[in-house]
Amino acid sequence: MKLTIERSILLKALGHVQGVVEKRTTIPILANIRLDVGSHGLRLQATDIDLEIAETVPCDPIEPGSTTAPAHTLYDIVRRLPEGSDVHLEYPSKEERLILRSGRSRFVLQCLPVEDFPVMSVGDLAFSFQLRSADLRNLMERTRFAMSTEETRYYLNGLYLHAVREQNVEILRTVATDGHRLARMEVPLPEGAAGMPGIIVPRKTIEEMRPLVEETTNGITLSLSETKIRFAFDETVLVSKLIDGTFPDYERVIPQGNDKVMEVNAKMLADAVNRVSAVMTTDKARAVKLDLTKGNLALSASNTTTADNAEDALEASYDSTPLSIGFNSRYLLDVLGQMTGETVRFILLDPSSPTVVRDAADGSALYVLMPMRV
Amino acid sequence: MSIRLLPPTLINRIAAGEVVERPAAVVKELVENALDAGAGRIEVGIADGGRAAITVVDDGGGMTAEELPLAVERHATSKLPDDDLVHITHLGFRGEALPAIGAVARLALTSRCHGADSAWSLAVTAGAQGNVAPTAHPPGTRVEVRDLFFATPARLKFLKAPRTEAGHIRDVIERLALAHAGVGFALTDEGRSVLRVQAGGPDLEQSRQGRLAALWGHTFVDNAVSIKAEHDGMTLGGLAGLPTFSKAAATAQYLFVNNRPVRDRLLGAAVRVAYQDVLAGDRHPVVCLFLTVAPEQVDVNVHPAKAEVRFRDAGAVRSLLISAIRHALAEAGHRTSSTVSLAALGRFQGGSTAATGSRSMGDGAPVPSLLRESLGVQAPLEGVPVRAAGGSTAENEENIAPPPDLPLGMARAQIHNTYIVAETADGLILIDQHAAHERLVLERLQTAFETATVQRQILLIPEVVEMDEPAAERLIARAEDLSAWGLVVEAFGPGAVVVRAVPAVLGETDVQGLVRDLADDLAAWETALSLKERLQHICATMACHGSVRAGRRLTVAEMNALLRQMETTPRTGQCSHGRPTHIVLKLHDIEKLFGRR
Repeated sequence: MKLTIERSILLKALGHVQGVVEKRTTIPILANIRLDVGSHGLRLQATDIDLEIAETVPCDPIEPGSTTAPAHTLYDIVRRLPEGSDVHLEYPSKEERLILRSGRSRFVLQCLPVEDFPVMSVGDLAFSFQLRSADLRNLMERTRFAMSTEETRYYLNGLYLHAVREQNVEILRTVATDGHRLARMEVPLPEGAAGMPGIIVPRKTIEEMRPLVEETTNGITLSLSETKIRFAFDETVLVSKLIDGTFPDYERVIPQGNDKVMEVNAKMLADAVNRVSAVMTTDKARAVKLDLTKGNLALSASNTTTADNAEDALEASYDSTPLSIGFNSRYLLDVLGQMTGETVRFILLDPSSPTVVRDAADGSALYVLMPMRV
Repeated sequence: MSIRLLPPTLINRIAAGEVVERPAAVVKELVENALDAGAGRIEVGIADGGRAAITVVDDGGGMTAEELPLAVERHATSKLPDDDLVHITHLGFRGEALPAIGAVARLALTSRCHGADSAWSLAVTAGAQGNVAPTAHPPGTRVEVRDLFFATPARLKFLKAPRTEAGHIRDVIERLALAHAGVGFALTDEGRSVLRVQAGGPDLEQSRQGRLAALWGHTFVDNAVSIKAEHDGMTLGGLAGLPTFSKAAATAQYLFVNNRPVRDRLLGAAVRVAYQDVLAGDRHPVVCLFLTVAPEQVDVNVHPAKAEVRFRDAGAVRSLLISAIRHALAEAGHRTSSTVSLAALGRFQGGSTAATGSRSMGDGAPVPSLLRESLGVQAPLEGVPVRAAGGSTAENEENIAPPPDLPLGMARAQIHNTYIVAETADGLILIDQHAAHERLVLERLQTAFETATVQRQILLIPEVVEMDEPAAERLIARAEDLSAWGLVVEAFGPGAVVVRAVPAVLGETDVQGLVRDLADDLAAWETALSLKERLQHICATMACHGSVRAGRRLTVAEMNALLRQMETTPRTGQCSHGRPTHIVLKLHDIEKLFGRR
């Protein structure tokens, strides 16, 4: 195997795939990426057994061949090479090492046999459809903050992607919840997605996909079965196993009977929450109390250990009976950070029932926040 | 086969299986009899681990010739005068021990009442009673048991090595001797004196401490705090070891209820709670507690060997134990175990010769160049007057002798930016600044935490936790207490609970695991330890991050402020992980190091 490639191209591709490789692994080959050279160019492939990523980039293929090399080391080397340089990779067969040359630099990396590199059997992906990159971005970005990190409830450690029919409109939805709050985002159902099963895409897959979605403006092809999903970008293909679990019936926790509506400037509310939270930097609970009265929203916070406290107030459109409700300030800020329009709408019932938060200008996203008892 | 009444010998042998399962149990029964007879001195002799012979001689009340045959009858006793099982004031009351022993061994009783002119003896061999015969003996009773279990060969096979059995016997005597400080005890093993303690004086507390010192050594007494508490008719006394004087196993935790040694898991739970934030998780404190309660408040008739008791109000007993220990430990404040200081001194002594002088600080002492480097902050800047570690206030304080009323003395220097050296009236103290400050912050956080209302995060998706029915019932029964801690649970059909809210400070937590742990706690300890421990852990983590780190330079004023706070804050002897915060080096120990004494 022998090739020459532009450093910037190699670096970008390595940047895409190396994130999949775990920092510590008990199987040595999983620390490596697979390199294949052929007439198509250079193909880089990384896997952690549950998630596999492959990217093909143009290069000057001098001699076809394949090997595997330590992913993080290779990435670190290429990153430190001078900008605009060319990289020569050579793998003399039967030598088990990769020689990297660039300018006057020379590196020798130990390789592992390419036959040992695990390949995920993709199986039959029965459903296939195309999503605009903007749609996929919104589906992920609006909801991913609410994914759970608590490992015992593994079925919440991802995004629930599924198709629903609501008021005769077919839509594609993502939902995430950690048991304290919930985020739901929807886009029109793309052609070919009808009848797809509801699937849970793991957190790591979502995180690894974000830069790829950010960079592209083209459509992305999703193919999926009950156990696997494949995201096909222009040059990159990501195949991931799905979380084998049942996502809770989230519709039941979205309240329908809330009758008090408050509208307020989202940016100003976020700033005010941030301000009053200053007294709680040493506090773990971080509850912010909202006092709603006609046309006014008062905020207050106090540190449970030092008894420092803070108050603030905002003009808000509110017409119902006065209501006092507490929220975790971090949860509030997370949700307010998702607003694209100017105004946020809170739909409330009482201090111990779930509260719905929406963007007043955009109906595609919905958030549910559980209050805190303070 | 048709149903028939078993012959008395067999009945006694069956009873023996319960009451005397090993030689130590025989010793326990006989010594308790002697104690119940009002003995002032009890001598026990054993041979071959108690298998060949056990002799118990006392100077108690004795028995008459008429009483002797009755004593070896089943259910014959002098200890239930009013046929009242509620007010049990004697150690024994079942009337089972002697006939049971007589059924499985060769038993010889010799007794003379005080004031009587002759002694009488009676022999029982494998349940067969001999005749009462006159003999010579000083006032008191002598019980001889030979060839134990010869009548039940199966039991004989299950005995451990003589050395092990002798160890158990010693343990039994030790416990009884601890409980009865007013009685002298002696144990001889084939003529060799194993244990010998004199009867204590009239002051109970003093004689108890003397007895503990005699049996467990002076180190324990010196490194323990005295427990004294009274509540609702219950009195608690004894000693609790300092957290820094701990063991790797929970073997040295004794509880005596009305002078009866008992093994009760209640003690384990109470000790665990009381030492919770002052001891590392894998260390166990040494405690010896004496609880006195009204006889009707405790049921001793629940275990054949009376090793377990049941309290009418176990909750009150538990909270008395916890509060008494915690209070005593808090009073002890900044004391750390002297064993820590001794270990430190031992290190110093190790390299006192000139040849190894440079290593005299023990392992890991920095090589000279490193030492100079790390002390670099104290090296004078050129042209700046030399001064110790201090700011401007240090000038005046430095030459003042430490006032004797400051237990932790005056800060003199900071070394390696980590340890404070303080001078006291009678020695010097090394303080780990991070460990010490961590404890101060933790105490402050905990007080704030306990007084503040707990914030609860209500769950959007209530968590259903499945468990067995009794566990769920236990949790529901304590739902109110749990909700005060921020955890709201409700019944969810049989064998499940639903969690509606969790303490907000726990953040996103493993609710299932927490609730299951709590159910286990309630079963084992009847206290929701896990929840408390988790909340405490958060306090400890916050304290760790919010305190002065090692490596930060402190001014003399800051150091002195730290010392003064340590003196007034409870439990400052150890940090939240149980490590000592400081060690005390007494002046006379230092003088010894230099051969001045």
